[in-house]
Amino acid sequence: MMSSSHSVELPHEAYLTALASLDRVGPATIRWLLSNGTPRSVWALVRSGRLAPGPGIRVTAEMVDRWARQSQSISPEGIWVRCVERGFGVLSLGAAGYPHALAEDTEPPVLLFQAGDPRRLSATRVAIVGTRRASGYGRQVARSLARELTMHGVTVVSGLALGIDVAAHSGALEAIEDLGGGTESPPCGPLAVVGSSLDSPCPRPNLNVAKRVVANGLIYSEVPPGTPSAPWRFPVRNRILAALSDIVVVVESDSNGGSMHTVREALDRNRIVMAVPGPINCRSSAGTNALLRDGAAPCLGVEDILDELGLDRQVVVPTDPARELRPRRAAKCADSTQTENLPFEPLGPVKHGEADPLGKPTRRSEDAHRLPTGVAGEVVDLLGWRPTSTETIASECDLSPRELARVLASLESQGWVRVTGSWVERMSR
Amino acid sequence: MLAVVRSSTLLGVDGFPVHVEVHVANGLPSFTIVGLPDASCRESRDRARAAISTSGLKWPDKRITVNLAPTNLRKAGSALDLAVAIGVLVASDQLGPDLITDFGFLGELGLNGALRPIVGALPLVHALGEVRPVVPPGSFREALLVGRDPVTAGSLLGVVDALKGKAPWDTLDPNDTPESLIVETSDLIDVQGQPVAKRALEVAAAGGHHVLMTGPPGAGKTMLAERLPTLMPDLDDRSAFEVSRIHSAAGRFHELDLIRRPPLRAPHHSASLVALLGGGTSALRPGEVSMASDGVLFLDELGEFPTGHLDALRQPLESGEIHIARASASAVMPARFLLVAATNPCPCGVGKWGDCRCSAAALTRYARRLSGPLLDRFDIRLAVDPPDHRKVLTGDHNGPTSAEVRTRVSRARAMALSRGVHTNRELAASAIDRHAPLTLPAKGYLRRLLEDGTMSMRGVQRLRLMALTIRDLESEEGPVDEVDLAEAMLLRGGDRQVGVAS
Repeated sequence: MMSSSHSVELPHEAYLTALASLDRVGPATIRWLLSNGTPRSVWALVRSGRLAPGPGIRVTAEMVDRWARQSQSISPEGIWVRCVERGFGVLSLGAAGYPHALAEDTEPPVLLFQAGDPRRLSATRVAIVGTRRASGYGRQVARSLARELTMHGVTVVSGLALGIDVAAHSGALEAIEDLGGGTESPPCGPLAVVGSSLDSPCPRPNLNVAKRVVANGLIYSEVPPGTPSAPWRFPVRNRILAALSDIVVVVESDSNGGSMHTVREALDRNRIVMAVPGPINCRSSAGTNALLRDGAAPCLGVEDILDELGLDRQVVVPTDPARELRPRRAAKCADSTQTENLPFEPLGPVKHGEADPLGKPTRRSEDAHRLPTGVAGEVVDLLGWRPTSTETIASECDLSPRELARVLASLESQGWVRVTGSWVERMSR
Repeated sequence: MLAVVRSSTLLGVDGFPVHVEVHVANGLPSFTIVGLPDASCRESRDRARAAISTSGLKWPDKRITVNLAPTNLRKAGSALDLAVAIGVLVASDQLGPDLITDFGFLGELGLNGALRPIVGALPLVHALGEVRPVVPPGSFREALLVGRDPVTAGSLLGVVDALKGKAPWDTLDPNDTPESLIVETSDLIDVQGQPVAKRALEVAAAGGHHVLMTGPPGAGKTMLAERLPTLMPDLDDRSAFEVSRIHSAAGRFHELDLIRRPPLRAPHHSASLVALLGGGTSALRPGEVSMASDGVLFLDELGEFPTGHLDALRQPLESGEIHIARASASAVMPARFLLVAATNPCPCGVGKWGDCRCSAAALTRYARRLSGPLLDRFDIRLAVDPPDHRKVLTGDHNGPTSAEVRTRVSRARAMALSRGVHTNRELAASAIDRHAPLTLPAKGYLRRLLEDGTMSMRGVQRLRLMALTIRDLESEEGPVDEVDLAEAMLLRGGDRQVGVAS
């Protein structure tokens, strides 16, 4: 080959990366490719189009031709420089720094790209996964579980997808960022395993979270930089996610969603699978409820996960315990109650005649769980755990829009509900 | 011999006076019309000739020139037929010139001399000013509304005889009353349940806030939109004339009186840009936006409208009028309408939370069809939920009637007028602080909305205007409080989300 004089200095990871960036090359195909020789010699074979089609793995002659054409425009040097420039670590199976949990796996990735701080791996790891079409309840649970796990020194693993995944990452990030940058960074933090390449994290709306994860945690990907993302790569990464974790917690999942795939991968690897129960009439909880019926361990709070891990319940990272009880936004309001004349808190008498629908809401922790009474209580009861339209609430509770607005604003300011557009979700417990 | 006859022509929704000058001279027999006539106007030569000869009058076999002054104004339509025929008669000494000086002539001629109704009689008669209009019987009612002592006759011969004093002018047959086409039979009380949606319509009618309704098929979006005009008060004299003028110019005026009820226009999403905005013929017919002026423009299936059409609505939404410019002519037409749009929440249309099976990508694609600047115009973004079937089947009516709401809306509109605007929505940003001050808790509420990113600064301004409208509806004095704001927020929804919960 013409570039043989440089390529002597290139590590074999560069050739592996080049091979992995070919069309339709997944974990199985690359393993088959490597059965033909060293990465460098295989690359030469591919380039010259002299690769013999493989019987078992459905590598056809047509595929070989396609790779030969495609490889003309790929240079291992270029790809290698790109990885180095962007600070991506390239780990091949067996190299130093390659995660032990993966090395012992039945289907270890031949090649792994990483960005961020690899020390996060030293902590115990728990995966929090779930549907992309999550309810407010699911997002809240994922967020607070991730937050509390991180505070207990556990690394939270997830897939950086929409819905539950991004909520879990946000929760972990909140806990880490609350610690501040001054002290030495803790051994735990968010760990993302993504199905796209590191330089174009997918989906787009999560770009910001992805950047924060790199800054405060670690991202793994099997996909070489510059390779366009493809739908088949996302389920494939689930096995890495499962293999890296000691426990997989499913927060919300449809009965045949991608999270159920992760669960199967986890069960194949003898990982503990836990599920968060949800309303039985809610599609987004159908999968998790089925898991519970089939014998998965129920996760009713962070304590259950800690017990499974054999950790004690002591908080490693001290914070204000009152904060976890309700979503962040409401907590912010609660903090400022003393300083500022906030509306809807406490609530004035409602026109219906009930004296004081919310009792006297004080922000003491012993009162935090007391349910609202009166009209507000009726509304909360009606909500159940399913998002409900304001129209339905007004009709069912026989409230005028004005009274409804007053009750909802008061409930929202205290963190009981969240109003998104015309939909109301119950938030706190 | 020269004759000058007064008439008028239509451009957009306005009539313009026209002098029809007819010159009959010796020479080879010919007939020419000059002065920017369009095709239908040039045809009046043939109709006038046939009408004169079939009426038993004499067509002069001479050189006839007709000039339509002012010559820079494009003349369209057949309303000048009668004036041309009268001019020929005067110029050929069959009618005394002094007999016609007090009259303006409007009407289309049939070949048998019959007078046929004209499009835009209302603005055309209005443009004649101080002279007595002579109009066809079919347009007489419109002429009566605005003209000074109008007269009518069934045929060209009838007009000539009446002018000469040989016969009286025709009178209107009192039994011949056309049926009003806009019959208001719907009432808000027909709508089952849906108290929030009803309240939203009330606020929209009072404050002029545009409404976007999102809901699954069969939720009652169309039913609600059709009832919005019934919540609005009767049009005042000025608006009634304006609306009637537009409908007359579009050839859709079939009323006994000026149009007093706010119109509802609901163009289908296949409507062309010209049909929506106006233009088309050289007379520049008013489009749907003008026809909906002072009333409601309802766009069902908003997402199905071509993007260009929707974005073209933005200018009339801002300025309340539409500027139509063509190479030959341009016109400004009123377009101060209340926009009500309806759309499905997602491609599958199920809408109920958790039942929709559309992928996240499909939802994004669906939502992208509506441009941000357009969505920004909607102050009220309402999720319309189908009413509970149990309540529908019991059939007991509830909620306010249209008349009850209309009383509150009239009161709120009167308060807006006292602030110098038609509706609160038109209040300038600089005037908000003066007209809608906030209580201390209300300020805290707004600050929280801004802090957690639920609302933008612009969104907060719109919210305050809605809260002001709500306060007006409750007829309460004093600054806007947090309950007003919370109710406005309930109707508006957040700035970020439109459509299905996901």
